[in-house]
Amino acid sequence: MNKICTMAQAIESIPDGAMVAIGGNTLNRVPMEAVYQMARQNKRNLQLVKTAGAMDIDLLCLAGCVKSVDAGYVSYESQFSLCRYYRQAVEKGQVITYEHACYTVICALRAAAYGIPFMPVKGLGQTQLMESNPRLGHIQDPFGGPDIAVVQAIRPNFAILHVHYADQAGNAMICGPVYEDLLMVQASERVIITTEEIVPDNYFRRQDVKAQIPAFQVEAVVHAPKGARPTAMPFCYPVDEAEVRAFQGLGAAEQLSKYLEGRREAAR
Amino acid sequence: MIRPSDMMTVALARLLRDGETVFCGVSSHLPLVAALLAKKLHAPGLVLLNIPGGVDPEKPRLSRITSAGSELWDSAAAEMTLAQVFDLSMRGGLDVAFLSGVQMDNRGGVNASLIGDWRQPKVRLPGGAGSAVLIPTAKRAIFWRTKHDRRTFVQQVDFLTAKGNVSDVMTPLCHFVACQGELLLNSVHPYTSIEEVAENTAFPIRYKVLRKTTPISDAEVSALREVDPHDLRSIEF
Repeated sequence: MNKICTMAQAIESIPDGAMVAIGGNTLNRVPMEAVYQMARQNKRNLQLVKTAGAMDIDLLCLAGCVKSVDAGYVSYESQFSLCRYYRQAVEKGQVITYEHACYTVICALRAAAYGIPFMPVKGLGQTQLMESNPRLGHIQDPFGGPDIAVVQAIRPNFAILHVHYADQAGNAMICGPVYEDLLMVQASERVIITTEEIVPDNYFRRQDVKAQIPAFQVEAVVHAPKGARPTAMPFCYPVDEAEVRAFQGLGAAEQLSKYLEGRREAAR
Repeated sequence: MIRPSDMMTVALARLLRDGETVFCGVSSHLPLVAALLAKKLHAPGLVLLNIPGGVDPEKPRLSRITSAGSELWDSAAAEMTLAQVFDLSMRGGLDVAFLSGVQMDNRGGVNASLIGDWRQPKVRLPGGAGSAVLIPTAKRAIFWRTKHDRRTFVQQVDFLTAKGNVSDVMTPLCHFVACQGELLLNSVHPYTSIEEVAENTAFPIRYKVLRKTTPISDAEVSALREVDPHDLRSIEF
């Protein structure tokens, strides 16, 4: 079955209010072209899920697409520093942060992947995350041990991942670090793959190393060369620093549509 | 003139032992260089773990932009995803985790989350990343912060992101060690004084024996240049 479609078509399937897990980590292998498209389509009230996000979350906050963020860390790391649009949106009360330890995002996705409502998590000792994040709680150990912290399952409606290779049916392969992408596939209801390269049918059948993402779990495949830019794509391209700075310099939402138009031109 | 970034990196490296498993996360260039330095000098069997999942990368060419990118994966022989590294810590197998934050109190409580009240934060910070589960489960959680002032080392944190097994705290001025739940001053760096540390710390400074941090040796200087030729250890300053 051919699942190849345009970016616009793939993103149109995401309704307002959807919970969306975004692949990659900080400025590494993030499906940015898909993120741009969500902003262009003016999505509203998205519930974003990620262990460590950066420009993806920042941009969608600037565009007014976001209702809540479940994450352990939101920042561009040391060089590009804080996500100011995310930060402003939270400080104005427009976006809710459910702050996690990165591991509690992982455990929440695991719970969804395992089909269970919550997951015990070790380690959450003395932390106010227990009060501030309603997805965290405690339960009694039915086997007589001490009480243990739990995290509620997070079952995203969509996972959007950018990969190196995919075939038209949706078998997909990531080279280099996989981060939480493969877990997101198992935890999410629907999976959108954007890919640097479309490989021929039966390509993976002839390889010693198989696709990590099976086609039957994938709903849409978008051919998006440079689809992670300006974030880094291992073995393909590094972070486009000028581009990240240009985005950080926009300052206000009014500038964003022009910026997104510029990205559309650049992609042609 | 000793640069604080060099002193911190060298002093952190000295805390690491041969054969230990050591985790460095996002935004962690300085401890990453410290771990590579320790491997070069006295801990060749140290196993570096990280976010991209490259176990013990060999002479990685670090990126200025990220400490979570594929440069830590490319030269690794094995893969251990972030989820598996966390699992390792949960079952007691992680020796050292490096973590930071914007506030710390003298009981080793860390705030990396927000300033003000959590219901309506005045300043939203990046968040503690793995801190809340790693600080309580790693055998030793080593905290570093490249600022040492009264806004950082506070009487009480605005929000407690994590607390637990903080064993050492390294700053541009000094090295604290945790002793029965309290941070005690262990050494002040050669270019400063206990007075300067006390002036810049909002909690009372207590110590058992006051030492000067051992100055950086020639061997440490040359190894540092080799593992970090582009001075990424200084980018947080």
